[in-house]
Amino acid sequence: MYRIVMVMLLGLALFGSAPVAAQNSGPQPANPAAEAQAQQETIRALLKEVNDLKARVTALESRESAAKPTEAAKPAEQAEPKTTEAAVPAPGNLPGGAEALHAGGIKMQGFAAVTYKASDARPPEGGALLGFRPGSSGNFAVGDIDLFLTSQLTPKTLILTEIAFSEQSSGEFETDVERVLLKYDANDYLKMSFGRFHTATSYFNSVFHHGGWLQTTADRPFVVEFSDHGGMVPSQAIGASITGKIPSGKLGLNYVFEYGTASIIRPQINVPGAPEIEEHNGNEITGGLFARPDWLHGLEVGGSFYHDRISPAADGVSLGVHMEQSVASARAVYVTPKFEFLSEGFLIQHKVQETGQKFNAPAFYGLISKQINARWRPFFRFQYANASAASPLFSDISLRYGPSLGVRYDLNDYIAFKTQYDRTMRRGFSSINGMLSQLAFRF
Amino acid sequence: MKIKSIGWARRSRVRKIRVRKNLVRKNWKPSVVLLVLLAGLALAGLKLTELKLTAQQLTGQKKDTPATGGDVAVIVNPQNPIDSISLADLRKIYSGEKQSWNSSLPIFVLVRAPQAREREVLLNRVLRMTESEYKQFWVRKVYSGEIQREPLALLSNGMQLEAVRAEHGAIALISAQDIHQGVKVVKVDGHLPGTAGYPLR
Repeated sequence: MYRIVMVMLLGLALFGSAPVAAQNSGPQPANPAAEAQAQQETIRALLKEVNDLKARVTALESRESAAKPTEAAKPAEQAEPKTTEAAVPAPGNLPGGAEALHAGGIKMQGFAAVTYKASDARPPEGGALLGFRPGSSGNFAVGDIDLFLTSQLTPKTLILTEIAFSEQSSGEFETDVERVLLKYDANDYLKMSFGRFHTATSYFNSVFHHGGWLQTTADRPFVVEFSDHGGMVPSQAIGASITGKIPSGKLGLNYVFEYGTASIIRPQINVPGAPEIEEHNGNEITGGLFARPDWLHGLEVGGSFYHDRISPAADGVSLGVHMEQSVASARAVYVTPKFEFLSEGFLIQHKVQETGQKFNAPAFYGLISKQINARWRPFFRFQYANASAASPLFSDISLRYGPSLGVRYDLNDYIAFKTQYDRTMRRGFSSINGMLSQLAFRF
Repeated sequence: MKIKSIGWARRSRVRKIRVRKNLVRKNWKPSVVLLVLLAGLALAGLKLTELKLTAQQLTGQKKDTPATGGDVAVIVNPQNPIDSISLADLRKIYSGEKQSWNSSLPIFVLVRAPQAREREVLLNRVLRMTESEYKQFWVRKVYSGEIQREPLALLSNGMQLEAVRAEHGAIALISAQDIHQGVKVVKVDGHLPGTAGYPLR
């Protein structure tokens, strides 16, 4: 045994030392003095080459600065900024040259989500969050798959398109061009858009579109839900939109003006399967004013006013009334990367032209959320909507209000998991307890 | 009777203690092994944390790493009339709130790709955001239609210099030691890089 161990140790020692020996044993120079002299000559030649190159660079620089004498303003206490390799733009340093800065083509982003919704609504409700089967105690749905495409035509001109594939309650998908805009930004004071857009009737409608990943909550507040999901505010129009800053110093005033044709089709949320209301909107006009003061980055305060005329019909049959529709809204929003506070109030008025009768529907929502530990974002939301039971358009909404409590967890920069509990109190019906869990992602 | 019962109780307690002592004597080995295992796991965890921290420090991922290197300068194209900019305006430019220099010249915002020192200075000193927040911020901005494009991220300062030279409305943050001919260095809050009170360092 002792011998075997000794043999093994000896073998290990031999094999272990072999590579070291191999490293040490190299071809020995025949004449060390001659070798050293040859190396010195090589170094001298290289140094000469470096000096020549330096001289050429200096000559080129002096020629360039002579052509543009006012260009180079040098930082103080750095009479001659050190030139490093990275600073010398080699040919092809910027692939494609200057033209590459405005490379054309289409950029595409996508947003999608998988949602599980459970609700004890009796009788069952339709509308918000498409893909959910009315009457089901709980089921999965994909909802909207959103493709967002942009193409920069010139430094000031852009094409923006948003296409949504929306899952219906039947499980089938419908394709809808949500936004298609030719945008021209002349400067900070004049930015024009032409095409199909989401109206500026609310902050939420302007900032959050069909990409659910961007929202903190799993669903939109009821009042600003898309019209074709049962929301109360006209969400889409085709026409022109102008926005920009108003010179106002630190107050940071901005304006928005829209003129276009809305074509709103709303489902009746408390009667799933009932004919949708086609509003047959006339041309709409929207004006808005909001401030983003310099002294509190992230704060936005303002309001907007929307007006159009509608002749509602259901299943192609006119309801026999013509109405003036007005939406007045006010907002106070404070959003930073770590904190979010949204609050918007609305007064939606329908004035029947034949009788002069007015139906007012006040509504509001408030949302507060705070980022914790970089990934967690608990939130609380309260929403309220109150429409007259006699309203020709909103009788299905009646009075509904209640809180939502939930949390968003960002797995990474692309995937977020959200879960929330909703309680909705209703006039004349039992309260609804709902639960939403959503895996939202962008790609 | 009462005394007897007390004696029995005491005896019973003593017996229980003896049994416990015996159990401890007999079963101490698994407990020690378990303790050693736990201590080993704890040490391994500590070691892993140390290694992770070291790796983060090496790759520059740790946010609290003290900044090394010189000042970061703000550069624009020489044809841009601007000579000085406030830190607040720089923030507006890099957060998309200010998008044009004047009525005809749009701002072309350049940034360095993630991990570059210039980008860290931008995120920490100008925008006060993390990398993740910065990405989400720009997705939201572009998606809302409020701004046409997010800042163009470039891989080297050489590329930034070339882009600023080529684009009249361009602005970039660049390490002061990498500044070269053909660009204009802009004062920030009245200070040039290298002077006292310069905010981007």
